[in-house]
Amino acid sequence: MPKLPPILPVALWLASAPFAGADAGVDFFEKKVRPVLVERCYECHSAEHKIKGGLRLDSKEGWLKGGDSGPAAHPGAPEKSLLVEAVHYANRDMQMPPKQRLPKEEIAVLEEWVRMGAPDPRAEAPMVKKQTGMSLEAGRKFWSYAPVQKPAPPKVAQTEWPRSELDRFTLAAMEHAGVVPAPDAPLPVLARRLYYNLVGLPPSPEQLDAFLKDAAQDRKAAVTSLVNALLASPHFGEAWGRHWLDITRFAESSGGGRTLLFKDAWRFRDYVLESLNADVPLKQLIREHLAGDLLPSNSAAERRRQLASTAFLSLGPTNYEEQDKQQLRFDVIDEQIEAVGRAFLGQTLGCARCHDHKFDPVSQRDYYALAGIFASTRTLFNYTDNVARWIVQPLPAEGPQEELLRQHEGQMAKLRAQIETAKSALAEKAKASSVETTTAGTPLDPSQLAGIVLDDSDAKVVGFWKPSTYVRNFIGQGYVTDDNKGKGEKTLTFSPTFPATGRYEVRLAYAHSPNRAKNVRINILHADGEDSVFVDQTETPLVEGHFVSLGKFRFEKDGAGYVLISNEGTTGYVAVDALQFLPENAQKAPGKEAPGTPKTAKRDDSPQAAARKELAALEAQLKKLSADGPARTQTMAVYDDPQVGDTQIRVRGIERQRGEKVPRGFLQVALVGGQPALPPEQSGRMELAEWVTSDHNPLTARVLVNRVWTWLYGSGLVRTVDNFGTTGEAPTHPELLDHLASRFVAEGWSLKKLVRAIVLSRTWQQAAQAPTAQDPDNRLLSHANRRRLSAEQIRDSLLLGAGRLDLQVGGPNIEGAGDVDANNFSAQNIEYNYVYKDVRRSFYTPAFRNKRLELFEIFDFGNINQPIGQRTSSTVAPQALFFLNSPFVAEQAEAASALTLATEGDAQARLHAACLRLLGRPPSAKETTLFQRFLQTAPTPEQGWRQIHQALFASLDFRYLD
Amino acid sequence: MNPLLFSRRRALQTLGCGFGSLAMAGLASGENSPAPLLKHTARAKRIIFLFMQGGVSHVDSFDHKPKLAAEDGRLLDFADLRSLAKTGKSPQQRVMKPLWDFSQHGESGLWGSSLFPEMCAHLDDLCVIRSMHTEGIAHGPATLFMHTGTTTFVRPSMGAWINYGLGSENQNMPGFVTISPSLGNGGPRNYGNAFLPAVFQGTPIGRAGIAAKDASIGNLRPARTQDEARRQFDLLRELNAEQLRQKPGESELDAVLQSYELAWRMQDSAPSVLGMDGESPETLALYGIGRAPTDNFGRQCLLARRLCESGVRFVQVNYGDNTNNPAWDQHSNLKKHGDHAAAVDRPVAGLLADLKQRGLLEDTIVWWGGEFGRTPYAEKNGTGRDHNPAGFSIWVAGGGFKKGVAYGETDEYGHHAVANKVHMHDLHATLLHALGLDHEALTFRHAGRDYRLTDVYGRVVHDLFA
Repeated sequence: MPKLPPILPVALWLASAPFAGADAGVDFFEKKVRPVLVERCYECHSAEHKIKGGLRLDSKEGWLKGGDSGPAAHPGAPEKSLLVEAVHYANRDMQMPPKQRLPKEEIAVLEEWVRMGAPDPRAEAPMVKKQTGMSLEAGRKFWSYAPVQKPAPPKVAQTEWPRSELDRFTLAAMEHAGVVPAPDAPLPVLARRLYYNLVGLPPSPEQLDAFLKDAAQDRKAAVTSLVNALLASPHFGEAWGRHWLDITRFAESSGGGRTLLFKDAWRFRDYVLESLNADVPLKQLIREHLAGDLLPSNSAAERRRQLASTAFLSLGPTNYEEQDKQQLRFDVIDEQIEAVGRAFLGQTLGCARCHDHKFDPVSQRDYYALAGIFASTRTLFNYTDNVARWIVQPLPAEGPQEELLRQHEGQMAKLRAQIETAKSALAEKAKASSVETTTAGTPLDPSQLAGIVLDDSDAKVVGFWKPSTYVRNFIGQGYVTDDNKGKGEKTLTFSPTFPATGRYEVRLAYAHSPNRAKNVRINILHADGEDSVFVDQTETPLVEGHFVSLGKFRFEKDGAGYVLISNEGTTGYVAVDALQFLPENAQKAPGKEAPGTPKTAKRDDSPQAAARKELAALEAQLKKLSADGPARTQTMAVYDDPQVGDTQIRVRGIERQRGEKVPRGFLQVALVGGQPALPPEQSGRMELAEWVTSDHNPLTARVLVNRVWTWLYGSGLVRTVDNFGTTGEAPTHPELLDHLASRFVAEGWSLKKLVRAIVLSRTWQQAAQAPTAQDPDNRLLSHANRRRLSAEQIRDSLLLGAGRLDLQVGGPNIEGAGDVDANNFSAQNIEYNYVYKDVRRSFYTPAFRNKRLELFEIFDFGNINQPIGQRTSSTVAPQALFFLNSPFVAEQAEAASALTLATEGDAQARLHAACLRLLGRPPSAKETTLFQRFLQTAPTPEQGWRQIHQALFASLDFRYLD
Repeated sequence: MNPLLFSRRRALQTLGCGFGSLAMAGLASGENSPAPLLKHTARAKRIIFLFMQGGVSHVDSFDHKPKLAAEDGRLLDFADLRSLAKTGKSPQQRVMKPLWDFSQHGESGLWGSSLFPEMCAHLDDLCVIRSMHTEGIAHGPATLFMHTGTTTFVRPSMGAWINYGLGSENQNMPGFVTISPSLGNGGPRNYGNAFLPAVFQGTPIGRAGIAAKDASIGNLRPARTQDEARRQFDLLRELNAEQLRQKPGESELDAVLQSYELAWRMQDSAPSVLGMDGESPETLALYGIGRAPTDNFGRQCLLARRLCESGVRFVQVNYGDNTNNPAWDQHSNLKKHGDHAAAVDRPVAGLLADLKQRGLLEDTIVWWGGEFGRTPYAEKNGTGRDHNPAGFSIWVAGGGFKKGVAYGETDEYGHHAVANKVHMHDLHATLLHALGLDHEALTFRHAGRDYRLTDVYGRVVHDLFA
């Protein structure tokens, strides 16, 4: 829309009407203003209908007080009145009425009304109730915000049943309800359950056999020693790291709009893996996630851990492409608050971005107190790139290696400085001799140049561009200039046809001369976005005396790439001769020299020849040094912004609508002994981390033990695992929850101790049963829940059954990611074109947000954009199709069958071995009969065995864990 | 299985062994079903969305602005959204005339350009909305917004909401299908279920970059012979039945067995829907199948009709690719719009004609459009147009919408919607309404609050209905 008109002059009929007294004002209001308000505004701004944005226009009080953005009108001052601004559609964020602009006459009426002092006889209409959350006072008494207690285990009647204090809590509840606990799980079932729960894999027949032999001697000792062995296994960190990655919404690409590759994210995964294997207190994990960069460290190794840990704050599904970068900055902050709140505090803090929480005792002030902390933290590299980037931090190395790295980096810096010096010297020389060298010379035939060459005549022309041949060493038939006229009106657009997708160096030839413009803007639209480059056309082009390089960009075959040269904002002549697009890694085509070199190699005898040679030598040296030298590893990370400070409330969550400034702080309802002072020179993340992981924080320990319980048992003591607010469910066993939480804190936030305590309980070791009508959700914990294996467990078990699973622990696993620059947008093609074919554990399967492994999608692990507190477990037809028809399953069945056939023995022995390996139990008599019969009718024995193995993979007992 | 043993949450997760519905499945008694159905009878039963990825230029197609030709080349002040978002300022921009000629069509006399001659022949059946506006200036955010109602957050796609609200009409087919979706600009989030149960997610058929004739549902066809597949299935059926006998009363296990039965039936029924069997040469010609450049999109459109006939509620047909500057994204060389138009014009017109002749247009909504429009001025004074979310055109047809009308207006240059504005939220609300769903009541409780497609926005545009 063309620029908005100035505030309209008041219509003539108004000017002629005298409005002296108050009565006249009221009269004007009643006749002219009220009808407009009633007809146009009440629908959204009155007690009778809605009160959008908190604004009421149905009483004087209403607009005086105003809505979220403040008073709607300042009597006598229309230029300061939001109402007037809004109806003029002058502010693109507030155009009222939103559907359609008012007729000019009505706008004039409202404006005049405000100018005359906004006479308004209307009294306050009855207020409608506003939904607000629980008060702070009530909130502090709510079960989840109240301090954790240390309840004494209750008395029970069946004193011989409990094996631990934990069991007394569950048994008491069962006895109270008159429910009998299930019998202990059979030993083979228990073994399979323990293996899957602790290391994510089934036991091998040998492991199962050894355990059963031990248990025949002493069940309790055998179980304990198996649990200890599994907790000590390096695969514990993979199975439990997976849970942790779920709640920290780990991914290896940003997903969403324009997905970008998080090439260094695996370091975070390894950090989690190693931390859990070493039983690093969860308290410390969370502290390092939130503030690792601010913690003191004693060694390079510790520093590396701490930095890698802060990737937690960068791993969100950020929309780096958002054009309003301040909005983007706030979206990132919002995601961080939501992730921290959900994962560790069980809170839905996102609700308070726009208004006070409607249910929980969390105010909008609380939200912006937290936002201030993250706003003082740097997560984005800058706020100017078309597509933003995250921050990558270099990692320190150990003693001698660090020494080596520093030396290398010093050399590189020195060389770079030398190159800069050489470049400016060359430019100086060139300037001095520019007139001579440029008016001389001979035209060059474009067909002698490598790559795609577009002459000025190939461009789409806007405005008059004057042809010229004055500067002689042009390409083709001459060049064009804007004649130093019509600034801002002329453009040339080059749209080459790219023969293949790839990176191209873009070069411009411009027939340089001292009268040229120094700031010619060139826009390059490439496959990964748009860039602007400025060229000083008074300088001698450094490349072959013709070209200046505009950079390397990726273009797609038949894509929409272009180069646009404009004379906007320039002083001096803008000249354009030709454009050259050189494919990177171009094969030397027969008959063509190295890119850019004319076929008939011209001897460079200009005065700059020596300097040019020296520059080339230095550049070659740098390239070699960079390729041969040691590379410093890096990680995704955050750091404190140099500008630390409190932030303002954003009215209705809109970045540009600023409200009151709120001091940085934490959730009022869950403070532990008051809000600590935050240092003015730091973001406050350290203090935030201290508060979240405080032994006295009522939420964190409860949330964590409930998560662990859920991961082991299939459902939580608090069923809404991510929501400990008032809309979540209350715990089924509040005392047990507090018993576990207080014990967890007392034992130093040790995950392994907590897991051991739960799996050694009799409650956990009960047999699995179907739900009963009395207790369909098994809220009394009177039996184990039968559970489907997770997507990763299914994949790992298929590969293991086929004897193909690669058990290598740790390290990166995205093929091709090692060579790419993390911030190079072409890296995203790794995701789009990815072929999943590795056979490592699913913990390492590339976690792309926009292109998931099919098996993961089918088995409820498709969406990794948000923290996952609890996997869903759907049963859908695509899963059945997967087991029946997917080539992946067929391959594993074939390999598993080959393994079975390689064992000695008759069909019966082989069936026994196959069932033990794939189902963790021998075949039943009926199954044996079924398989034997099937084998007899099979067209070939190979086909028969293969299909038996596929049937075992596809069967209930493979997929479900008792 | 004793149905009483089903808790609601479990039911949501397991009943979907088919492609189940929710609101219609007799389960509508728990926390997540606040009776989203309107009292009135729905005018439409299904939607076909023809997604023109990248943003078609409305001022070159359905929004006739004579001023652009009259003032071609003039530098004027426009409130350019991208510049404003990035810098807070907007430099002057050069007016660019349409590259295609406009004329009036049919009895309605609606304006349309020679960019889409075949669609224009159907203007008397279309309801053109010329006052669309939306959120998101770049493709990713705007595409996500169009599909999920938010530029940033992870929310269910519109098709998933509709699937959740209405379910599939055919228990052997999914309720929400997307044909040849792109991996880029939102990728799977554009047809994802987010926090809704997985059964409501979109089922992709093929993907951008794969020829439509090779597109299928994953793992639909047995890798081996029919005989071998039959033996495999029979063995598995017996094995599972035996294993189930050992664990009586577990409804979820029973659901797994049912899922295998359904999969087996789908293997039979789905390929016949996905194929082109039984289509006459006239029908194939109607869609432009069998000749360049319409063959590919023609197949997609015909498949959409066949899916609708088989009971699918929401079929999205994607004209796009996997790049960051997708098909219609003519920042330069606007003429290229002509190539894309040549690929889609005939198939879209063919689909309209075919639906009409079969009486399907009565209760099928066809929605044609992109994630935003394009600017009436040349981008950076070049030869193309930049994105324009402030004002653009889409059209809807069938399913109770008015015919041969244009609704709403942009300003005299076609830049910002100014009269009878229809926000993308409003379009969502209106489409749900046409299906008999109340956009304010179709909610799902997640993370402590009720979510809906239109967030706290959206207004049904009743004027659009006949």
